[in-house]
Amino acid sequence: MPAPAITQPKGLPDRLTALFWRRPRLLLGLLLAPPLLWLGVVYLGSLFSLLIQSFFSIDEFSGMVVPEFTLKTYAELFRAANLDIIIRTLLMASTVTLGSALIAFPIAYYAARFAKGRWKAVFYLGIMLPLWSSYLVKVYAWKLILAKEGIVTWAAGVTGTQSLLDAVLALPVIGGGSLSTSYIGMFLVFTYVWLPYMILPMQAALERVPTSMLEASADLGATRAQTFRTVILPLAMPGVIAGSIFTFSLTLGDYIIPQIIGNSASFIGMAVYQLQGTAGNTPLAAAFAVVPILIMLAYLGFAKRAGAFDAL
Amino acid sequence: MPAAVEFTQVTRHFGNVRAVDGVDLTIAEGSFFAMLGPSGSGKTTCLRLISGFESPTSGAIRIFGEDVSTTPPHLRNVNTVFQDYALFPHMNVRDNVGYGLMVKGVSKSQRHEKAEEMLSLVKLSGYGDRKPGQLSGGQRQRVALARALVNEPRVLLLDEPLGALDLKLREAMQDELKTLQQRLGITFVFVTHDQHEALSMADSLAVFNDGKIAQIGTPEAVYNRPATRFVADFVGSSNVLPPALTRALGGPEEWASLRPEVTRLAATGPVTATVTALRYLGSGTRVVLDMGGTELAALVPAGQPLPEPGSTTAIAFDPAALHIMAGA
Repeated sequence: MPAPAITQPKGLPDRLTALFWRRPRLLLGLLLAPPLLWLGVVYLGSLFSLLIQSFFSIDEFSGMVVPEFTLKTYAELFRAANLDIIIRTLLMASTVTLGSALIAFPIAYYAARFAKGRWKAVFYLGIMLPLWSSYLVKVYAWKLILAKEGIVTWAAGVTGTQSLLDAVLALPVIGGGSLSTSYIGMFLVFTYVWLPYMILPMQAALERVPTSMLEASADLGATRAQTFRTVILPLAMPGVIAGSIFTFSLTLGDYIIPQIIGNSASFIGMAVYQLQGTAGNTPLAAAFAVVPILIMLAYLGFAKRAGAFDAL
Repeated sequence: MPAAVEFTQVTRHFGNVRAVDGVDLTIAEGSFFAMLGPSGSGKTTCLRLISGFESPTSGAIRIFGEDVSTTPPHLRNVNTVFQDYALFPHMNVRDNVGYGLMVKGVSKSQRHEKAEEMLSLVKLSGYGDRKPGQLSGGQRQRVALARALVNEPRVLLLDEPLGALDLKLREAMQDELKTLQQRLGITFVFVTHDQHEALSMADSLAVFNDGKIAQIGTPEAVYNRPATRFVADFVGSSNVLPPALTRALGGPEEWASLRPEVTRLAATGPVTATVTALRYLGSGTRVVLDMGGTELAALVPAGQPLPEPGSTTAIAFDPAALHIMAGA
């Protein structure tokens, strides 16, 4: 006797598979419901309550939050001291993003184009390894490296480049008493801790550019620089933007590095931390927290307009 | 006048693999030259040696008499149509076609004019504003062709350009490429693993096997007088007869080839064979025979009686059609 044309369903797995085959949307719904609930309720909900808080104000005498809608708190953001904090943070985030991009590109390019087999594993390990140790440990390690009595000063003395270090520290605004108390030091530490987040998306984007496309460019007469500008960079742009979203927004929100490294000038993250904690001014803290969100939206809008996502 | 492309004892090794092994090759100017062979036979590496994406391990390559061993790809007046077309996805068709002019610094208006001219040459006028992603495979192929021709190369290299197209489109493109080549008078070097394509399009062709050229010649010469057993089998799907069988069928004791279309079935003959399979081809039927352990094929035209599988038959042929392969 030949085998039957239809096998009878046996048990729950068979029946469920049959049900999902008849109703594909059911499976999709079941898969999506938990993450959507998490994102929708927990994340968007808290974001929304943050937004509402930012429209409240604080009573100057009692220090109590007045739950009435007003733009007074936002107006406070434009006071000179607060505006300074925003501009300082924005400049630092931009510089860190640019620095990370410049350092990350050659590494990502090497990993995407040339690293094979074992060297690829070495690359991933090298990029991920710093992420395995605590962020705080890394920042304090950097403080020791950059401190006045630290490794950098010692190395400058040994190699006879003390004058160069002094010249760098003598630079107005970004210099300081030592690297660990200057904006330069803060830039170095920020760039170090966020670099992996720039390299990985860049490498993923570069990996998707076929070798034949670079060959086609050379074949048609383009120099390496022209190929880079007209083919590699536009095609890698979505990855660069993805990486810069990480470095930019992480720097915008960070409140630990500015406390440990630098000259104790305030940044957005620190301001939120202090206003929310010690000062108890939740509305202003919320208004400060909205600023990075607006900056990121503006940044993405600008990137889209500039055609950064054309190759997606 | 120097040849368009000339290889002198060219070798290319990848580690222990001899991808190209002592190749001598001369491609005449203005010809349509095909490099035919199975995958891994070295034909694509030879093409990449001409374009400059590979450098020879030893030997010399000349393009119009000039030694190009130290010339990078972007300085060679040779352009390539890539197997995957390699169109730039972030540029529209016009900018893709005009790319070669853009990197040379040609003005935008001239670039657009020339790109439009090239697009009309490949019958894609009016497609300039589209992105490559919005085109069909055949259209992309034409854009790749227009892009490679915009620089007016001395030699155009085509790396299996028709491989991704369906049969009907492939045949139409074969005719078009041939017409285009004759009209432009540019030397075309074409890599393919499809013997029909090579035979129908090329003025002359080289058959590659294991990094070496097994035979070079006109399609007719290669098809009718294969130099080796490999060529006979690969190019014509010819019957390859071992020396003993050639002798038994009335020839000298040498390796020989016999094309299926000149092999007829006969009631009697010096050697009998068993019919193992019938393959219907539309225009005829390929009858596969087992003749004492050697597999042979006979092409029976449509309308003629066919033998039963398993039956015994003999073969007959014009003795002049039996090609003795001295080099086998």
